[in-house]
Amino acid sequence: MTYDAVVIGAGLAGLTAALRLAEEGLRVVVVAKGVGGTHLAPATIDVLGYDDGPVESPARALPEFAARHPEHPYGRLPADVIPSSLEWFRERLDELGYQGGLDENLLLPTAVGVAKPTALVPQTMAAGDLRAGGRFVFVGLRGLKDFYPAYLAENLARAALPGGHSVRARAVELAPRLGEERDVSGLGFAERFERRDFRETIVRELKPRLAPGEVVGFPAVLGLRHAREVWQDLEAGLGRRVFEVPTLPPSVGGMRLFESMTAALRRKGARIVVGSSVDGAESDGRQLTGVVALTAGRPRTYRGRAFVLASGGFSSGGLQVDSHGRARETILDLPVAGAPGPGEPRFAPGYLDEHPIAGAGLVVDELLRPLGADGAPAFENLYAAGATLAGAVPWQEASGNGVSLSTGYGAASEILQGTP
Amino acid sequence: MRSLETEVLVVGGGSTGAGVVRDAAMRGFSAILVERGDLAVGTTGRFHGLLHSGGRYAVKDPDAARECVVENAILRRTAADCIEDTGGLFVTTRWDDPAFGDEFEQGCRETGVPVEEIPVQEALRLEPRLDPTISRAFTVPDASIDAWKLVWGCARSAEEHGAEILPYHRVLDLEQDDGKVIGALVKDELAGEEVRIRAEIVVNAAGAWAGHIAELAGCKVAVLPGKGIMIAMNHRLVNTVVNRCKPPADGDIIVPIRTVSVIGTTDTRVADPDELEVTQAEIEEMLDEGEKLVPGFREARALRVWAGARPLFSAEEVASTRDVSRAHALVDHAERDGVEGFITITGGKTTTFRLMAEAAVDAVCEHLGVDRPCRTQEEPLAGSEEGRFYWLGSRLRAREPVPRSEEIICECELITRDRLEAAITRRPTTNLDDVRRVLRLGMGPCQGGFCIYRATGILHARERLDHRAANSSLLAFLQERWKGVHPILRGDQLRQATLDDWIFQGLLGVQHLPE
Amino acid sequence: MSELVRDSLDHCVKCTICESFCPFSRATPLFPGPKYVGPQAERYRQDGVSPDLSVDYCSGCGICTAVCPQGVKIAEINARARARLWEERGIPLRNQLIARPTVLGRLGTPVAPVANWTLRNRLLRRLLESTLGIHRDAPLPGFAGRTFQRWARRHVSPPAERTVVYFHACGTNYYEPAVGQMTVEVLEHNGFHVVVPPQDCCGLPLQSNGNFPAARTYVRRLAARLAPYARDGCAIVSNSTSCGLMLKREAFEILDVEDDDLRVVSEAMFDLCEFLLLLHEGGELRTDFQPLAMTVPYHAPCQQQGHGIGKPALDLLSLIPLLRTIELDAGCCGVAGTYGLKKEKYPISMAVGDGLFRQIREVEPDVAVCDSETCRWQIEHGAGVHAVHPVELLHRAYGLGAA
Repeated sequence: MTYDAVVIGAGLAGLTAALRLAEEGLRVVVVAKGVGGTHLAPATIDVLGYDDGPVESPARALPEFAARHPEHPYGRLPADVIPSSLEWFRERLDELGYQGGLDENLLLPTAVGVAKPTALVPQTMAAGDLRAGGRFVFVGLRGLKDFYPAYLAENLARAALPGGHSVRARAVELAPRLGEERDVSGLGFAERFERRDFRETIVRELKPRLAPGEVVGFPAVLGLRHAREVWQDLEAGLGRRVFEVPTLPPSVGGMRLFESMTAALRRKGARIVVGSSVDGAESDGRQLTGVVALTAGRPRTYRGRAFVLASGGFSSGGLQVDSHGRARETILDLPVAGAPGPGEPRFAPGYLDEHPIAGAGLVVDELLRPLGADGAPAFENLYAAGATLAGAVPWQEASGNGVSLSTGYGAASEILQGTP
Repeated sequence: MRSLETEVLVVGGGSTGAGVVRDAAMRGFSAILVERGDLAVGTTGRFHGLLHSGGRYAVKDPDAARECVVENAILRRTAADCIEDTGGLFVTTRWDDPAFGDEFEQGCRETGVPVEEIPVQEALRLEPRLDPTISRAFTVPDASIDAWKLVWGCARSAEEHGAEILPYHRVLDLEQDDGKVIGALVKDELAGEEVRIRAEIVVNAAGAWAGHIAELAGCKVAVLPGKGIMIAMNHRLVNTVVNRCKPPADGDIIVPIRTVSVIGTTDTRVADPDELEVTQAEIEEMLDEGEKLVPGFREARALRVWAGARPLFSAEEVASTRDVSRAHALVDHAERDGVEGFITITGGKTTTFRLMAEAAVDAVCEHLGVDRPCRTQEEPLAGSEEGRFYWLGSRLRAREPVPRSEEIICECELITRDRLEAAITRRPTTNLDDVRRVLRLGMGPCQGGFCIYRATGILHARERLDHRAANSSLLAFLQERWKGVHPILRGDQLRQATLDDWIFQGLLGVQHLPE
Repeated sequence: MSELVRDSLDHCVKCTICESFCPFSRATPLFPGPKYVGPQAERYRQDGVSPDLSVDYCSGCGICTAVCPQGVKIAEINARARARLWEERGIPLRNQLIARPTVLGRLGTPVAPVANWTLRNRLLRRLLESTLGIHRDAPLPGFAGRTFQRWARRHVSPPAERTVVYFHACGTNYYEPAVGQMTVEVLEHNGFHVVVPPQDCCGLPLQSNGNFPAARTYVRRLAARLAPYARDGCAIVSNSTSCGLMLKREAFEILDVEDDDLRVVSEAMFDLCEFLLLLHEGGELRTDFQPLAMTVPYHAPCQQQGHGIGKPALDLLSLIPLLRTIELDAGCCGVAGTYGLKKEKYPISMAVGDGLFRQIREVEPDVAVCDSETCRWQIEHGAGVHAVHPVELLHRAYGLGAA
């Protein structure tokens, strides 16, 4: 059986490419060695948050950014891809109620109280927008060790906001009953929030402690499959606007995103194989004909007409540096650009400095096809998306999910255009 | 200005200083210890973690070997809780001369190091990761020792006997009167004020910095810092201390200590013990040497690399001072330099710290004209009374049967919230770094990726730090960690570091914290 | 191999994705999660000694290994830690007993009606619970009375160009011989001469209960029986997806069996649906299916996911006209082989399976589909819906069933 498209990697880039293709009726299989990206990042779509200072409007900043950084993934994409991908994403994941856009970044509080620019946020996080200032109260839950509202509030109150707005922030600590287990993960709390009786206790304890006009910030644990109902229920019960603040991984918001996208993929008849890592390729000249994946018994080849490599960067192992300092792309051994050679320093001495290896990854042509050693696309029908690409330092630019979404969408678009 | 008076003022909070202040206090002297940083941040906190059996010195330095034999047994009796009885192996690899094994065995027998040659199969059964081509193997009673437990144990014991322990007190000057050192002027770094300490005698136990301290009294102690690097590998590739059976050289020991295994070390003379740079060449050398003992070492995950400075003294000192052995030096400045009230004890190794302290306090007794016997060879430290060695699985067992019945703040090192808060309570002037050292917070594979944010939040919640201090503590930790991590960032640890970057910079945005 | 599995703990970056997928840690405080008992705790286990009982609450479902983005062999590390734990403490009689299905099978088969009556008698089940520790409500299957082997010995498989070897495993043999018959008939329908060699247990329940020496003996014996066929170039198929996985990789990765016989068998080993789908991809599967106007929910067992081949059953079932298959995504049924039979683990297993049972009931199906026999028994028990192996629907659609 030959698939129309084989997507390697189940992060946001891979799932986006796969879903876009599957909904156009293509036979798609996603092969991934595990679950990654979505569960580690918050569910917001950061397109461009910082470019030598916070970015107010990605729509205004992007063309110039892309022109200045032609090697950045944003510099490789046609101008309409980023806005189209956001539009598509918002529509497809309609049950998560994403809001925002490229015109103006929202400013959301991080778990340490930094005001971070981001373009698209799920409805459960939108009320945390700091752009107009406001009064916020942050709720800590005893037993959740990944959220410190007092620390957050103290920093947030001193955050520099545009337009001279200011934020008043304070913290409140709740101690819901937990049973024998005192160390409950974010997911554990999310499951508890899905229960009405738990929510009622929370509302009962919290409501009398709220001041008028306060917007209530919880850690991002407000439910899993029924997040919308949980959030609406809390807003109704507290009589206040409520929002979530993302905390340490695993990200509950990311889990919701993963569940929604994989459910959508399954509905479209796509196949998802998790726990099988791609290890090699079969080709016919410049055409990739199949990728070889490891299974329990013997390797299995997934044949396809088009392929998307969305295996992630250094954190997922899609790129790696061996003990002799050589950088490699680990699945197809494509050449890695931007990595210092063995013996050259890869990192600067200051933790927050710019590190020589930071933007390393695959260089792609204008069709998002990774280049081989000779500077031409390695294969005519192989595309690359996400953190595998060179040129971006997503945690500094606040561009992670934006790069994944737009390049995943872009790669799928290229495949669709090429399909008869 | 605050003023303190005491009989014995000890400068230096490493194992030597802690041993001296404990011994002095136990012998009934009033004593104060000052250390410019936290206890054990110098050489003691950066060494290999090895409690020598003496085997390493059996051929080259028999006196040192004999000392190790005696002290090893004493520490096993009195500081059992700080020690893991890993045992030691000396193995002959194919890069080593098998004949040296005979010299080695002979040297051990002559110096009293308990040694036994075992069949190679037995060694490989004990340590399956060893290179199977080894030709000879010997067992010796090496062990691994927890420096912080040891130093803090001594400090606590000293306090119990009336001593005062003052970390973050930097010596600015040694005050003299008519050719006699009468005390020191120190700066309390946390309170930001100066303190004058008057003492009958000042003991310079500043290790690699002993020369700097001696200079303040106009004396010259030529301590030449010998830099050695060490790399901690993510898990215990071996559970026994493994030594190369050859004349001592670089990178020939792997020590399993707590959850990691540490390879070391190198030996480079440096000028300044505060400037210890780790070079790529040294790192490659350690990894290559490790590979000779444990095939696959190079590809195993390396957590961090650091350097310590051995306090080596020049040979001239040996000839012209009264010393107990070549391994360490006790300098009586009254005799040598005409400066009364001042002695220096330097050189040595943590394994013989108690012996050095005994020598120093014996000299103190002489100076003060009293005869009080030393009891540190008998008296156990708190927690070691029952002679039970540290057991690796203890933290794991302690969490059973409901492991998450308490919040676990640092998952890699299984540190619960209660333990963290107890550590904070015990030391009122604590900061994140002090806590980190004592509990090993953030020292596991994730190198603080998850726990440091939690610990900062807790410190802030407990009102130990306001937000500003919490922010700078967090950033300082990240920088300190980075120092030890970026030189060996490759493979798995690079993946970890990238994830940590996503967390700290991407998710939390620490680089944008308000000033 | 043991070092390779243990060394994989080095890949752990503490992302806790495994813990977010583990259904058992969410259902009980006694299990702190796969990351905790696996790569994290392993650093504290010297010479492999396990001081922590909590590792016994790992079910061995293997979801953690499947979702780990870094390639940590979490479930395998846990399995080995558990074995060392029980080696030290001594394996309880109950675990020794339920880990030997062939022993139980041989005891129960001749007296099947009585044995089955006993196992359904509430009073006697209570006794069993208090003496042996098997939960009174645990879904114990009924003995078929006539083993599959007995049918197979009498059955003459028509000669054909190609031969395939059938590894039916204990479940089929003692409890569901009809499924075995259907498997043989479906393979024969597709032009295979089916060989059913005499065979014994693969040792999987012994492995999951921590008795590695016994497990190794069983699996080596089985591999020795099957190896000659593998060397002859025959494929070996199994409808027991978990036993197939044991031969494919678990015996090697968890038990360290580095036998040449095992190696050739694992290379020739196919899960039944995997095999049939490959036939189809090669244009060799007969597609003369009659319509089956049904809607069925399909649950992929955790051990089937452990094969890393996706869900071939879905693609197979999609060939049957009018059959609508709903792919469930509820994680685990909870039984995990013998785990859910145990008194102290039964409530956990039912809590784990609750989501799945609910999803199945929502479909209101006549029948649910699942590749693993123990999972089917759990589904019947928990959702009250009859469950079949995918091959049963293929058999029906081929019209091979008795009219």
